[in-house]
Amino acid sequence: MRMVKFLKMLSISVREGTATRKYPFESPLVTPEFRGKIEVDPVKCVGCGACTRICPPKALTIGNEGDEIVLKYFEGRCIFCGMCAYVCPQKAITVSKEFELATWELGDLYDEVVHTTVKCRICGKPFTTVKFVKEVEKRIDNKVPEDLLTVCPECRKKLTARKIGSKVVGVSGE
Amino acid sequence: MSHDYSKLIDELSRGHRSRAILSKILEVCGDSVLDLSRRNIIIKIVIKANCLRTALENIYKEHDLYLRTIAASDERSREGLFKLYYVFGIDSEGTNLVFEVPVAEGAKVDTISDLFRASDWYELEAHDLLGIEFNGRQMSRLVLPEDWPENLYPLRKEVSVEELKKMYQPQLISRVSELGVEEVVRIPVGPYHPALHEPEYFELYVRGEKVVDARYVGFMVHRGIEKLAESMKYDQVPFLAERICGICGFVHSTSYVQAVEDALGIEVPERAHFIRSIVLEVERLHSHLLWLGVALHLLGYDTGFMHAWRIREKVMVLAELLTGSRKTYGIDLVGGVKKDIDKDKIPRIKETLNVLRKEFKELVDVAMSVPQVKARLTGTGVLPRGEARAYSLVGPTVRGSGIARDVRKDYTYAAYHYVSFKVPVYTEGDNLARTLVRVDEVFESISIIEQLVDMMPGGPIKAERWEPQPMRLGIGAVEAPRGEVIHVVLTDLYGPYRWRVRAPTYQNLQAVPIMLKGVDLADAPLTIASIDPCFSCTDRAVIINLRSGSVKTLPIEVISRRVRENG
Amino acid sequence: MLAVSDGGKPDLTMSEFALNKLEEVFTKLKRSVWVFHLNTGSCNGCDIEVLDVLTPYFDVERFGIKLVGSPRHADLILLTGPVTIKTIGKVVRAVKAMPRPRLVLALGSCGVGGGIWFNTYATLGGYPQLEKILKDAGVEVDRVVYVPGCPVRPEAIIYGVAVLLGLLQPKSKHRRVSAVEG
Repeated sequence: MRMVKFLKMLSISVREGTATRKYPFESPLVTPEFRGKIEVDPVKCVGCGACTRICPPKALTIGNEGDEIVLKYFEGRCIFCGMCAYVCPQKAITVSKEFELATWELGDLYDEVVHTTVKCRICGKPFTTVKFVKEVEKRIDNKVPEDLLTVCPECRKKLTARKIGSKVVGVSGE
Repeated sequence: MSHDYSKLIDELSRGHRSRAILSKILEVCGDSVLDLSRRNIIIKIVIKANCLRTALENIYKEHDLYLRTIAASDERSREGLFKLYYVFGIDSEGTNLVFEVPVAEGAKVDTISDLFRASDWYELEAHDLLGIEFNGRQMSRLVLPEDWPENLYPLRKEVSVEELKKMYQPQLISRVSELGVEEVVRIPVGPYHPALHEPEYFELYVRGEKVVDARYVGFMVHRGIEKLAESMKYDQVPFLAERICGICGFVHSTSYVQAVEDALGIEVPERAHFIRSIVLEVERLHSHLLWLGVALHLLGYDTGFMHAWRIREKVMVLAELLTGSRKTYGIDLVGGVKKDIDKDKIPRIKETLNVLRKEFKELVDVAMSVPQVKARLTGTGVLPRGEARAYSLVGPTVRGSGIARDVRKDYTYAAYHYVSFKVPVYTEGDNLARTLVRVDEVFESISIIEQLVDMMPGGPIKAERWEPQPMRLGIGAVEAPRGEVIHVVLTDLYGPYRWRVRAPTYQNLQAVPIMLKGVDLADAPLTIASIDPCFSCTDRAVIINLRSGSVKTLPIEVISRRVRENG
Repeated sequence: MLAVSDGGKPDLTMSEFALNKLEEVFTKLKRSVWVFHLNTGSCNGCDIEVLDVLTPYFDVERFGIKLVGSPRHADLILLTGPVTIKTIGKVVRAVKAMPRPRLVLALGSCGVGGGIWFNTYATLGGYPQLEKILKDAGVEVDRVVYVPGCPVRPEAIIYGVAVLLGLLQPKSKHRRVSAVEG
């Protein structure tokens, strides 16, 4: 009897029947909690870049392209951790259940959101997005110093340095 | 320091073993001990480099003391020195004994690889990545590629991740045209081999059908993780840590966050501890089922392989339901977890566990009664208890050789102190013993999860806020399916200053040559697999160097030359 | 297995090959594809999902897909991992050992884009970087499909194979939208 105990596997197999899923001819085994590709809502996104700073593999990047600022999402490097959705202050990012992303064109794996920009009052370089400026104004009730929203960080540094400089000169001149 | 230490020792020690060890150290090198302190379970001894060896020579025979990890760190920007942190564990007291050793640039440290054999690789790694020199042993480049520039040490702070990428231009042409000709008669296993799922390279030296020696040449999966983490923020690193290993990733992220929490004294909500423990055990279930399946496959019993994986799939679905991903769960954050386990999922968990227990029992009963499975597991790949202790081994490997070492019991963490469970131990030390340890652990894990979900407290799942502070040392250890994972973190303001990872396979692989000696060639793949090796964990920063009983290690060219000369 | 060319002779370029044989071979390929699993320094996550695809739940043998032990027998390479510097030589040799047509499925965020380590000193950064080296070494690859995921789900791998064989059209499309004022 002991010799043939391993034959018991047959009865287990019969009881269990076919385990195989018929995917792709039936729905995949995706649970409601599954984290797939992310979707950036172009209406809600203000281009603040919070998601690009937390993204562990730098799949989300933000940068200037000519006169525009572009938020780029590269699905091919995404690790589907959902941190971007977790930190997004505008709740513009949602995690979808999409995982059927295979393609033969690497370019197909990019999603881009293009923002119109605000140009620096001094050097003329685009430095932030129109929507971000509006959002800041809305949130702090229009009490933002004018320079903060119209001058780019580099020019602002120079401006401050000049102000301090002139003060110091002024003091020593007295 | 004054010469009456007894009061100090009373304050610091956590039991008679640490008391004895501390008194011994202070007795033999009291003047070289620069500082002594204790925080929770960590006793820290700052000691001069020239006295470290003397101290360890006097205590290394102490029972229960084993080397957990060595972390080297570049702290020249702060104190003008490199530092070595030697972490020893005293199992019976659950105490970590940390030796902090300042090393001036260019100074040499005495090796301890003859006292603690496990330290061999740590020293080589410190040399490769930070340029720290060791006295009394042969050094060789092992971690980094052969064409890596001299005097460029990736973990030194003066070079950033981006600069390294520019400074090191691999000679791709010569790599592509490498010859595939084998010069001596040996049996190479890997780097691409049907029985290995990862690119690793073993060389087995055989006489007839018997393996007489083995060499492991790792390094294939070195991805530069510890350097990469220097450019990351606290909450990005858990996701990096998780990708150290795709099988036991959650173990690494938990270990990392625990180290940070330990260093900064962050209070983690109880509920988060419970969630972490539950997910850790789910991970152990899938990993052990995976291992059992692959082991049965290597034994030629593919029916068992298929059934093990059929059963395992239910665990994968459960994992996705609890965390949102089948693997690399991505829910650990410093101070808690990102995702809660809702009440309505608990019946589903229990149902899955019930089915799993029943089906797994059936499978094991049948699989273990298959004559070839039994015959090939029994008495092969024997690892004696003494060797297991000498090499500071961990996990099911050491538990199969009669030592009940388990982080969950010895250095308890997360919510494990709330549950009752057994640590399965077998004394035979063969492949069967290691298999049975894992089989028993599956049942224990099921019971642990059941207890945890019943006791789960309410409340928040993440600490509200916490303040980072520079240069605090923290240790996080977790019992992975393969054994103990230990992370050492030195904190900084935005992210870890130094993050040292030690995976279980790092310790356990050294035992493989011992197990392999004298087995039949056909049993070699299973014996290698019996430690459940995980090379992606191990190689994140290191290559392993075979010690075939002798202290000297030789580069492969030397061996092949010798073989040519002699034969 | 479909052996078309001998690995020893210099490779035909992709266009020459496409003109002569590719279409013919693809009609045959619909019958059965043999795959070789090539781990180039992956974390194991994708690799266990590859194994999952071969075991009962997803069982790709129903499509005639079979895992083989040598690249010489394979039509398709399942490439996982970010291609570490130390594996390059071996990876190129393994790809070269495949008979034409050489098909590659670049799996996971590492295989596709280098993943979280795309920029470290020890990795190359995924298949797109490897492709350049293969070109320099004179090794032509006839078709590549990128399958993102971290790790790739077993279903995603099956979907990728279906795309590769032309059974399904890829759903992913490059999307570039303007941020609309709310």
